[in-house]
Amino acid sequence: MSLKGFTRNFKPLEILTEEEVEAVHRGTLEVLWVTGVRFEHERALKLFEKNGCRVDYDEMRVRIPPALVEECIRKAPSSFHAEARDYKKSLMLGDNNLYFGAAPGLQSVDLDTWEPRLATRKENYDSVTILDALPNVHFLCPYTPYFGFEGVPPCMAMLESQAARMRNATKCVCVGFSNDSEVFAIEMAQALGIEIMGTCATAPPLAVYRDAAESVFRFAEAGFPLRILSGQVMGGTAPATIAGGLITNNAEVISGLVLAQLIRPGMRVLVKDFSHPMNMNTGAPGFGSILACLHNAASNQIFRKYGVPIDNATCYPNSKMPDYQCGYEKAQRVLVAGLSGANLLLLHGSVHGELTYHSVQAILDDDLAGMVGRFMQGIEVNNETLAVDLIEEVGPIPGYFLNKEHTRKWWKLEQFVPKVADSLTYPEWMSTGKRGCLDYARERMGEILATHKPISLTPSQEEGLERILEEARKYYKERGLISEEEMATYRASMKSPNYPYE
Amino acid sequence: MSIEVLDNLKKAIIEYDSQGAASWAKIVVKEGIDPTMALDAMTVAIRQIGDGFSRGELWLPDLVGAADAMSAATPIIEEEIKRVGAKRESLGTVVIGTVYGDIHTIGKTMVATLLQADGFIVNDLGINVTTEGFLEGINKYKADILAMSSLMTTTASEQRKVIEILKKEGIRDRVRVMVGGGAITQEFADSIGADGYDPTAPGAVKLARRLIGE
Repeated sequence: MSLKGFTRNFKPLEILTEEEVEAVHRGTLEVLWVTGVRFEHERALKLFEKNGCRVDYDEMRVRIPPALVEECIRKAPSSFHAEARDYKKSLMLGDNNLYFGAAPGLQSVDLDTWEPRLATRKENYDSVTILDALPNVHFLCPYTPYFGFEGVPPCMAMLESQAARMRNATKCVCVGFSNDSEVFAIEMAQALGIEIMGTCATAPPLAVYRDAAESVFRFAEAGFPLRILSGQVMGGTAPATIAGGLITNNAEVISGLVLAQLIRPGMRVLVKDFSHPMNMNTGAPGFGSILACLHNAASNQIFRKYGVPIDNATCYPNSKMPDYQCGYEKAQRVLVAGLSGANLLLLHGSVHGELTYHSVQAILDDDLAGMVGRFMQGIEVNNETLAVDLIEEVGPIPGYFLNKEHTRKWWKLEQFVPKVADSLTYPEWMSTGKRGCLDYARERMGEILATHKPISLTPSQEEGLERILEEARKYYKERGLISEEEMATYRASMKSPNYPYE
Repeated sequence: MSIEVLDNLKKAIIEYDSQGAASWAKIVVKEGIDPTMALDAMTVAIRQIGDGFSRGELWLPDLVGAADAMSAATPIIEEEIKRVGAKRESLGTVVIGTVYGDIHTIGKTMVATLLQADGFIVNDLGINVTTEGFLEGINKYKADILAMSSLMTTTASEQRKVIEILKKEGIRDRVRVMVGGGAITQEFADSIGADGYDPTAPGAVKLARRLIGE
C-alpha cells in the first residue's frame, strides 16, 4: 500500500482475560522486586540505587520496587515519532499503527541449491536497495540485510551494515551494539544529521550485560529512541510455560525500560517480544512455532495496556527455502501479531532463521505484508460502500456490477493485488512456462535493481560517514579486534572502483 | 468542428462514459460527420483501452466500462452508416454470445471488446443465447465468425448443438466457429468440430485473425 504503514481499524484480538493480564503484571512486579535483575554495569547500579532500588553490588543484582516500575512504564511515551533519513518515511510507532521491517540473516543463499554462503559487498548493498524500493518495508533493523559480508572483519560488520542502510535507503534505521560500535553508530547518524534507533538486548534469564546497559546510556544521552528485547527461549532460558515466559520476558524488557526512563524520563522506547519455545530435539529456538504466536499475542495485549509500543513476530522460518512451510510460518506470525496489536512486524527477507536472507524472499514477503496490512485496515462502512442504491440500480440478472463506475472506483481501494503471486489460469500458466511466485520474485528483483536508484547521501554526509568508519577501523585495529591479516583482506576489499557499493 | 466531436466521442469511451458516448454519437449524426470516421475514432479509443489491459495497466472494470460506452454509441453510428450507404472497413464480422443456459457475461464481453479493439465488427448477442438466436444473428449480420462462450460443463454441449444446426442449415462452411469459456478445452473444441479454441481473451483475438486468414 504505502510507506505510511497501516492502521488497524478494529478491536485487537485479546487472548487473555483482564484478570490474566493482571496476574502476569503482578508476577512481573514480584520478580522484579523479589528476584531482581543482574545488571553488569556500575553506573546503572548506582542510578537504580539512587532511585530507591535495592542493589546488591557483589551480585550486581537490582531489585526494583513495584511503584518505580509502574511510574517508569507511565513515563515511557505511548506512541512516538521515529525519524527516517527521508522525513516523509518516518514512523509513528504506537496506537493502532502497524509497520513492517526486514528480518536479517547471517548469510545469503544460493537460489538453486539453497545452500548458505557469505554475501558479497555488492549483494549486501543491492539487498538494501531492494528494501528501499519495496513499498511495505518501513523499518531496517540491526544487521539488515546481512550480519556481515565478504572482506569485513566481524567487529566492523555492524557499522558496515549500518553504512549500507544509510547509503542505499532513506527509511528508518535501527542499529545494534557490540564492543562500543554504538558510539560510532551514533556519530554516523549525527554526521548525516539524522536519527537512528538503538538496541538493548537483555540476556535471559534476568540479566543485562555491560554492553547492553551501556547502549541504553549512550542512546539516552544522544536523545535517540531505543528498542529493548530479550530473546528468551522457553524451556531453556525461560519457563517452558507461555504464562511463565510472559513474566520473565516482561521483567527483562521492563528492567531495560526502567533504566532508560531513569536516565532520560520520557525516553522513546519500543519493546520487542522475541520469545520462542525451545526445539526439544535440537535445542534451537522454535522460530516457526505456533507457541511464539501465542506469546506475541499475549505480549501485545499486555504492552497495549501498559501503553508502550511493541515490536514482534520476527518471522524467522525453520524452513530452508521459500516453500509451503516457510509461507505458513511467516503468515501465521504476522497475522496473529497484527491482529493482536503489534506496531512493528519484522518479516522481510529471512529464509532460514537468523542464518540466511535473500532479496527474493523479501520480495515475496512484501506481498504478505501488503495482504496483512490490508486486513488490518478492515472494512469501510458508509453509504457509498454499502451501495444500496447501486444494488437497486443493477437489480437481478442480467444486471451486473463489473461495468459500474462504483466498481472502477472501489475495487482498487478495496483489493490488495499481490505483485509476484501466480494468479494465472491453468492454460495461461502452462503456456508461459509453468512459472510460480518464486520465478516472478526473481524477475522483480532484477527489475527493481535495474530501475530503483536510492537517493544518495550528499558529498559532505558521505565524507562524514567514511571518516567515522575509518576511525572505527583504527579503533578496533588498535584494540586488537582486527588482525593484520584481516585488515589486509579488508583493505583489499575496499579497492574496487565502485567502493563502497561493490 | 468534426475533429472536436470525434475527439469527444473518443474521450467518452476512454472515460467509460456511456451517456456521453451516446450523446456525441448523436451529434456526429446531427452534424453530418462521416459515420465511418466516427467508427474509426471509437475503434482507436477501444484499442487504447485494450492495449492498456494487455499491458496490465488497466483492469476488467475498465475494459467492460469502455465496452459499455462503445456499445451505447455503436447502434447510433451504424444506423447512420446504413442510412448514408457508407462502406465500413473491418477485418471481418463477428457474432458472439454466451450459450443457452449460461448467463456468464464477463469473459464473453472481454473477448468482444478486444475483437472490436482489433478492428472486427462485433455483434454481441449477449447471454443465454439459444441455437436459433445464434442462427438468426449469423444470417442477419452476415457473420464471418461465430464466437461462443460457455463457462459451465453443463452448458458446453450447447456449442455442439449450434454447430449441428449450422450443418443442418447448410451454412457451416460460410462461418468460422470459435469457442471458449472456462468449461472448454482444446479436446472438447476438436470433438464438436469447432474451428478454433483459445483459453484467453487476447489469444481469442489472434485466433480470430488466423481464422479469417489475416
